Amino acid sequence: MLTRRSTFKAVAGVAATAALGASHSAEAADQVVKIALEMSFTGADATAAVRAAQGAMMAIDGANAAKTVPGVKFEYEKFDDGTATAGQYDPAQGATNARKMVSDKQIMASVGPQMSGVGKAMSPILSAGSLATITPASTNPDITDPKFAAQYIPNGKPVYFRTVATDAYQGPNMANYMAGTLKVKTIYVLDDSGAYGVGLADAFQAQAEKKGIKVLGRDKLDPKAADYSAILTKIKSLNPDAVYYGGVGQAGIKLAKQGYDIIPNVIKAGGDGMFGADMLTGAGFPAVEGWYATQASPHVVDDPKLAKWSKAYSEKYKMGPDDYTVTSYDAALVIIGAVKSLKTAGKPITRENVRDAIHAAKVDTLQGPVEFDANGDLKNKVISVFQIKKNSDGPLDDPASQYKYVGVAPTV
Amino acid sequence: MTAGDLVLQQAINGLSLGAMYALLALGFTLVYGILELINFSHFNVFMVGSFIGLFVLHALGIEGQSVILSGLPLIGALALAFFVTMMTTGMLGVGIERFLLRRVRHVKGPAAMITSIGVSYVLFNVILLTLGADGKNFPNPLPPVQFAIGGAVLRLREILIWIIAIVLMGGLTWFVGFTRMGKAMRATAQDPEAARMMGVEVDRVVMMAFFVGSALAGAGGLIFGLYYNYTGAAVGFNAGLRAFTAAVLGGIGNVPGAMVGGLIIGLIEASGGQLIATEWTDVVIFSILVLVLVFRPAGLFGRVAPNKS
Repeated sequence: MLTRRSTFKAVAGVAATAALGASHSAEAADQVVKIALEMSFTGADATAAVRAAQGAMMAIDGANAAKTVPGVKFEYEKFDDGTATAGQYDPAQGATNARKMVSDKQIMASVGPQMSGVGKAMSPILSAGSLATITPASTNPDITDPKFAAQYIPNGKPVYFRTVATDAYQGPNMANYMAGTLKVKTIYVLDDSGAYGVGLADAFQAQAEKKGIKVLGRDKLDPKAADYSAILTKIKSLNPDAVYYGGVGQAGIKLAKQGYDIIPNVIKAGGDGMFGADMLTGAGFPAVEGWYATQASPHVVDDPKLAKWSKAYSEKYKMGPDDYTVTSYDAALVIIGAVKSLKTAGKPITRENVRDAIHAAKVDTLQGPVEFDANGDLKNKVISVFQIKKNSDGPLDDPASQYKYVGVAPTV
Repeated sequence: MTAGDLVLQQAINGLSLGAMYALLALGFTLVYGILELINFSHFNVFMVGSFIGLFVLHALGIEGQSVILSGLPLIGALALAFFVTMMTTGMLGVGIERFLLRRVRHVKGPAAMITSIGVSYVLFNVILLTLGADGKNFPNPLPPVQFAIGGAVLRLREILIWIIAIVLMGGLTWFVGFTRMGKAMRATAQDPEAARMMGVEVDRVVMMAFFVGSALAGAGGLIFGLYYNYTGAAVGFNAGLRAFTAAVLGGIGNVPGAMVGGLIIGLIEASGGQLIATEWTDVVIFSILVLVLVFRPAGLFGRVAPNKS
């Protein structure tokens, strides 16, 4: 195993070249390998999508500039699964995008999607087309669960890889954290009726019950409804120690706003759906103050070893990276590494070969060495816990300064 | 919280919601009463209203949750915000009527209604594409004053919503009942042909109905933003459908019916969230719409529609 330091050097080199913006035009003989970037660029999760996509773009630009894979020119194409009518991600649009990606012969792999609901719609189509994708953010465990293989990977071989852990860890580990560190005894569980939200809340609830936390109730929020005061009043009357919300920003913003008014003194927590600039701009202080959120990845973005990379990113894109920018950068590195290994072995760059090479990959990335298990899940699973604490020294809409890292959520 | 406190708190929640639905329902009812047209563009006039209110407050330097006003500055800022919002949405309504709906008014069949649906989607998408689909942080300049009634809490914003709603609805009742234009409206609603023969300028009456209805929708939109400290491009459909249900429940075309219908729908939404589960609230509300249409098509207070004799 390479040490973290040498990993860092390699990556920082790539990043630094990328930051110089020196992109040489490809020689005529270079083979074009296109990487699709499938995120929710429209709607409630758009800012997180932009950050993540830029992470992958930076890795791709870096590989081109450094000629990481001689004879190959990487390109990217963005696919947006957010729709205006949904106001957020839309699985049907994800399926359409997957079909478009499969029909484009130059696309060899994809980074994305951001959302599990979209992942569920895309995976069977990608499987049929042998097109591998690495998600930097979607955490619903079903998609890579062998129990559902017939549904999500009808072709048999894993195509859905992740550079994040899953909600099978994110929910339960947070339950452990709430029982152990926050000493929560009673809780009310909410979700936003989406694939990600329901799965996360279910996993949380099961472990919370195991840890002896009394679940006082469970409800689904309609993300399009405006008013949650009825359910919040009900929660207030039950007086739980804490509320756990599985879901993304569309309902989350309104929940934070109205929760601040109606149940100000209850501990409130969510998953990675409650982590991001959308919360800070849409709900804002003081409503979001004190909310807990998790990320299904190690918290490396503040790691002093990544300072140079963060700086390069901030200079290039005029905004700070977050942890899913890192996982997205890492996902692109894994794809680039897979293409490189094919080139080195003298194998043709086909979708099937890229898929198998990704599955076999051991790539040193910003978050450490990335390796996948038999199902395509990350071997090294870490859940980081954050709490929103107003920090007037930094921009009030910047997750990096307003989400304070409070530790790793324990596995037991 | 005791059971009594809970009932009281949900009643407060429900009445605040209901006041908003009622203001919006009045717009449907005014236009229907005169033209027998269900004006679906009303949904998004409401949404546009909440954004105009947002801009006015931003222009006054009130952003986010940090600027708290009280006394005269608060009254002044709110008065200005309501005035600008209601005038703008009122003119938007007049524009929609004058340039689009008037041209299809005499076309038989659903042409006018479909036009209004089209206008609604245009408004929605224009806002969406120019301002984005993410939720907006609506300023809240109200001081955090609240009163405890047993275990229930009554906040200043709820009192404010009720006062504004009562003033606007009282004003409308006076306008329809006691002014010349109001009489002309009622006359046109009863029989447009006869009204015309008696010297009522029907086009002006129709325009006035659109102006008043849209101005009330704008006020509703601003109240929505102040109440939830939130707005977004998608807020019109949800609130609009419920307000429409309220108008049907009260008897479409019937002004007091729309007010009562709004309050009833608000109370149902609050008690549904308490007693059943929030995800079933829509089922309950729209079942009521269906049941009213089946068993009491004229609504609780009777329908008012132009006499087609």
